[in-house]
Amino acid sequence: MERDEVLKQVNEIFIDVLDKEDIVLTDVTTAADIEEWDSLAHIHLVVAIERKFKIRFGSKEIQSWDNVGEMIDCIYSKVK
Amino acid sequence: MQTLIEYIVERISSENILHGKKLKNNLKKFDEAYFHSAAIFLKKYESLLQDENKTIDYAIDCYLQMLADVNYESVQFVRTGEYSSKSFDEVNRRVYENPDVMQYYMHGLLLSQFLWPHHYNILLFFRKTIGANRHIRNYLEIGGGHGLYISEAISIIGENAKFDLVDISQSSIDIAGKMIGNDHVSFILSDVYDYNPALNYDFITMGEVLEHVEDPVKLLKKLYTLLSDDGKLFITTPTNAPAIDHIHLFRNAGEIREVIAAAGFEIENESCIYSEDMPAELAEKYKVSMMYAGVLIKRNEQK
Repeated sequence: MERDEVLKQVNEIFIDVLDKEDIVLTDVTTAADIEEWDSLAHIHLVVAIERKFKIRFGSKEIQSWDNVGEMIDCIYSKVK
Repeated sequence: MQTLIEYIVERISSENILHGKKLKNNLKKFDEAYFHSAAIFLKKYESLLQDENKTIDYAIDCYLQMLADVNYESVQFVRTGEYSSKSFDEVNRRVYENPDVMQYYMHGLLLSQFLWPHHYNILLFFRKTIGANRHIRNYLEIGGGHGLYISEAISIIGENAKFDLVDISQSSIDIAGKMIGNDHVSFILSDVYDYNPALNYDFITMGEVLEHVEDPVKLLKKLYTLLSDDGKLFITTPTNAPAIDHIHLFRNAGEIREVIAAAGFEIENESCIYSEDMPAELAEKYKVSMMYAGVLIKRNEQK
């Protein structure tokens, strides 16, 4: 799977979990840019991403991402 | 001028944007009474920290570490629908016998009492309950931890009553002692099952203990024996609240009520407060944690 495809699928997950149609993620998107993305939403995003990509994140990884780009890099490293 | 609670929220936000958002939103909704209570509590807490040559920044670091644990336990919970720990022995090894974990965990929990709205709102319910029961002469608290509830009880009931606090942890007793700050309380280091006093209590408080035991009905039955026939038991316990030392999963208030009834109690009054500000149906869908508080009396036919 290409990295762009990972970003596209994660974008869909964000739209679904946060119930917000107009989300457009880029590598530099952070939680500060999306009001609904708080700590509760993050947990559900993490598990939805794990289920979609059939991967598992460790406890340090879940807290380590400063932006969407770092999240995508982490996912991509597990699926490529 | 920035208050201490505002400083705490700012510092947490600088380290954890996601959680910081929630805390900042929470602060906007609190009233003046909250800020007044928080200021009193945090002043006592700062004094406790200073006695240990620590600062509020140390407490914030502990809180962030506790939060990291809660977040990971929450992910596990959403993945599996279960708490990750299943037995007291397991949490004893992971948490209670691990001084490094206990240190940050207890300080983190202390701060959460005022950072998490559902904790604060349940405290208000407790104040109202004690206010309606000022005749109390013998008060017992089980697992008093931070000392917050027994302090409130003393300030409302007055010092003519007898106040006992039973806890299985010396560290908890030490912190509670410093937070309470007066010598009117008798601290008893004991497992509650080994506690067999000569008297029965008018009022017993047990906050957030039921979820830490394998058999909550057995624990409530023990409290039944400690309570006078006309006495009241105030309990709090959460649903769907993953944490490093939670064992018994209550999935909804109904399951809590079943345990209460099985132990021989009726519910005189109760309060259910979700940890997130959202419609109940969404909270149910996302299995958002709810803090349950119950004022219990002995069921009539059992007296």
